[in-house]
Amino acid sequence: MSSGTITRRRLLESSAAAGAGIVLSKVPGAAGATAHHRYVHRADVVIVGAGFAGLTAAREIARKGHSVIVLEARRRVGGRVENHHLPGGAVSERGGTFVGPTQNHLLKLAKQMGVKTFDTYDTGQNRYINGGTRLDYSDTGPLGTAPPDPLLLPDLTLAVTELDQMSTEVPVDAPWEAAKAAKWDNQTLATWLSYNTVNPDFRRKLAPLATRPIFGAEPGELSLLFVLFYIAASGNEQNPGTFERNFNTRNGAQMSRFVGGSQLIPIRMARHLGRRVILGSAVRRIEQSKHGVRVVSDRRTVHAKQAVVAVPPALAGRIRYEPLLPFARDQLTQRLPQGTLGKVAALYKKPFWRDDGLTGSVASTDGFISFTVDDSPPDGKQGVIFGFVGGDNARAFFRMPLKKRRKAIIAELVDFFGPQAAHPERYFETNWSADEWSRGCPVGVPGPGLLHAYGDAIRKPVRRIHWAGTETSTYWNGYMDGAVRSGERAAAEVLAEL
Amino acid sequence: MLAAAVVIALGAGVGAEGAASRARFDTRVLALIPRPGFPARAYVGRHGHIYEGTYDNPSGDKVPSRVLEYSRAGALLRSWTIKGQDLSGPHGVQVATRDARGRLVLLDKSPPRVLTLNLHNGRQRTYARFPDLPACKAGALDCSPSVMDDPTTPNYAAWGPDGSLYVTDYLQAVIWRVPPGGGRPRVWVADARLDGSQFGATGIVLQADRRTLLVGMQSEGGGGAGNPTTGRIYSVKIRRHHKPGALEQLWESNPLDGPDGFAIGRSGRVYVALTVANQIAVISPKGQDIERFPSTPLSGENGSSVPFDNPSSAWFDGRNIVVANQSFIAGNAANQAILNVHVGEKGLRELIPRTAGQ
Repeated sequence: MSSGTITRRRLLESSAAAGAGIVLSKVPGAAGATAHHRYVHRADVVIVGAGFAGLTAAREIARKGHSVIVLEARRRVGGRVENHHLPGGAVSERGGTFVGPTQNHLLKLAKQMGVKTFDTYDTGQNRYINGGTRLDYSDTGPLGTAPPDPLLLPDLTLAVTELDQMSTEVPVDAPWEAAKAAKWDNQTLATWLSYNTVNPDFRRKLAPLATRPIFGAEPGELSLLFVLFYIAASGNEQNPGTFERNFNTRNGAQMSRFVGGSQLIPIRMARHLGRRVILGSAVRRIEQSKHGVRVVSDRRTVHAKQAVVAVPPALAGRIRYEPLLPFARDQLTQRLPQGTLGKVAALYKKPFWRDDGLTGSVASTDGFISFTVDDSPPDGKQGVIFGFVGGDNARAFFRMPLKKRRKAIIAELVDFFGPQAAHPERYFETNWSADEWSRGCPVGVPGPGLLHAYGDAIRKPVRRIHWAGTETSTYWNGYMDGAVRSGERAAAEVLAEL
Repeated sequence: MLAAAVVIALGAGVGAEGAASRARFDTRVLALIPRPGFPARAYVGRHGHIYEGTYDNPSGDKVPSRVLEYSRAGALLRSWTIKGQDLSGPHGVQVATRDARGRLVLLDKSPPRVLTLNLHNGRQRTYARFPDLPACKAGALDCSPSVMDDPTTPNYAAWGPDGSLYVTDYLQAVIWRVPPGGGRPRVWVADARLDGSQFGATGIVLQADRRTLLVGMQSEGGGGAGNPTTGRIYSVKIRRHHKPGALEQLWESNPLDGPDGFAIGRSGRVYVALTVANQIAVISPKGQDIERFPSTPLSGENGSSVPFDNPSSAWFDGRNIVVANQSFIAGNAANQAILNVHVGEKGLRELIPRTAGQ
């Protein structure tokens, strides 16, 4: 780890000195919300969750001079974003990794935190593997990152064009208000594809190749309305969303990475917030009264005027609320599971695939990995390839023992990149569904009927409780940028109440 | 010359930090408006947040109108769906102003009513319901002195000093006054010059003297003021006991300009959105045309990625005006946006009396 950054170890070391609770190292201005008693705090605002959303909200609220406390269940910050430290000090990312055009809220935040970006390695040919079909292609073509399989090309082109067009009818702030919301929400993406594509291989192989990494789900798990919303949300207020911007590396959501890893941003945010952030303190209960809100966590109790819950909806639903939340909000959290997504990665002495003229991006309809990306450090002195394992593939994969998993992944990488891939220096993987404080990744995935019935409860405050997290975002829902946006929005809500 | 100075800034935020370096009439896209689209009036409220209602889709739809909230920099923050609209016909909502408690004051087209929207809890309340007026015949009292019998269509509103709300009517030749605290609106001014046929009264703004309202007319389609193809701005004083003064013409537009909503700068200059000419007109306090942006009508080319396409309102945000680009005629969703135009002066502070909405 380079000097000037705060490492996870150092983070925990500083926390260890903080007595019963785990707090971040003291920084100037951190006394805004001091403990009146050993375990009881008072603050203007309490925030549940120290991911991008919660920390952004805390930062905005603190900047306006209000006291704030962030309670985080994990012993780290970042939520679904976590650096993996490589030998030699470089990092790879276990979770959220990329940033791209129109993700201006994340880019602005990174700049403020002094975290620079660099281009995802994208020089050369992508590779596509579908049974006997092996195809190297450039992502500078009209299809971008999507593979130009000649047999599936007509369906791909028509489906993407049609979905892009339909998505323009979906308001990102209220997809449930789209003119055809009921019709689109009453079917899955798989249903729509069955009526609007010709080649069964497209539906069986190519469509899941996209939905597994994007959503951690199969086409049959996804409400069509949600998919259209997700496309519409892959932009910003000035640039309407498109599937291409979502899926592409070049000029798309995977275009750039962060020097020092994406988790460096929340780490630095937390460092600025100092003692306001309390780690290892899972929130179990939130009580509201006309006087305020009382949030009870494993280590601390916080009395505040307002609360922001910045965790995935499925986990927010596991907190006990007094009084009970409105039924619509509870129904929403009952029906909004996290996607099933894992990341597998292999570390090599060097990114040898670059010597073969490959970008490192492989789209495969076979095996467990749907898509790989070159995740090597910016200097390219080490080579890291990671792959997305999502949906049904993830369910099957993570049922196997580790040894078998490793063997299967290495075999796939050999198939993708040749025999040099057979002997990585390290293999590592992350099963976000097994993570107690995420229970899935990258985003909550609504099945049919949810958005139309209960979608409007996703952001609607319940008296003193406000909701944040990438699932509540209008743009870049499911992405780090969406999380930042949601934190800003929740902070604006809270600030209006203080 | 002027157009050459315009800086293209697609996707750039429009924060206050960038204002100092902006050229006059530098135009930026603050936000494209999601469906159902058709933004008609962008209102700048507390904290510089911008509120935009979705208005009537001339092709028809069954989608209830929404009010969207944007940060000053153009980030979409929240939205609210309007309840109780009649979706069987044309419908839309405009954010007219706010009341003393910070609630937004909305003008709903169908049914014609004034709503308040509580931004804290989303609660919507009916503040006033407008009656429909028949076209005047000899001896009629509560009537619209217009050629055609059209439905009540509240368009813009402004507070009077006592908390009365003055509301223009797009299709009837009247100005309404809603008494302080709400309730039954009364016809405040009825005048044939307010008959624009299908293109009637638009913006209404209280001047710095806090006694005089400026009222815009998109056209004189009813023929009450001569040339039916030109629009006008009138002034009318609020006299004691709410009595209206005489309607006096301040400015007459060019033919087919289609002036719509407007805002008053601290200099007294009036910035008018010309919805047909696709321009912003700057009018002197004495009613003279000072300049237009862009200088030639119709193309709407403003240097941003979204040309003026039926711009329908102007309201100040710092030294800029925010303009709702409605694209009513073409219905081009790519042009339905809030634009931010740097004008280099601040706006007249809006009067929100302590009794407003109470």
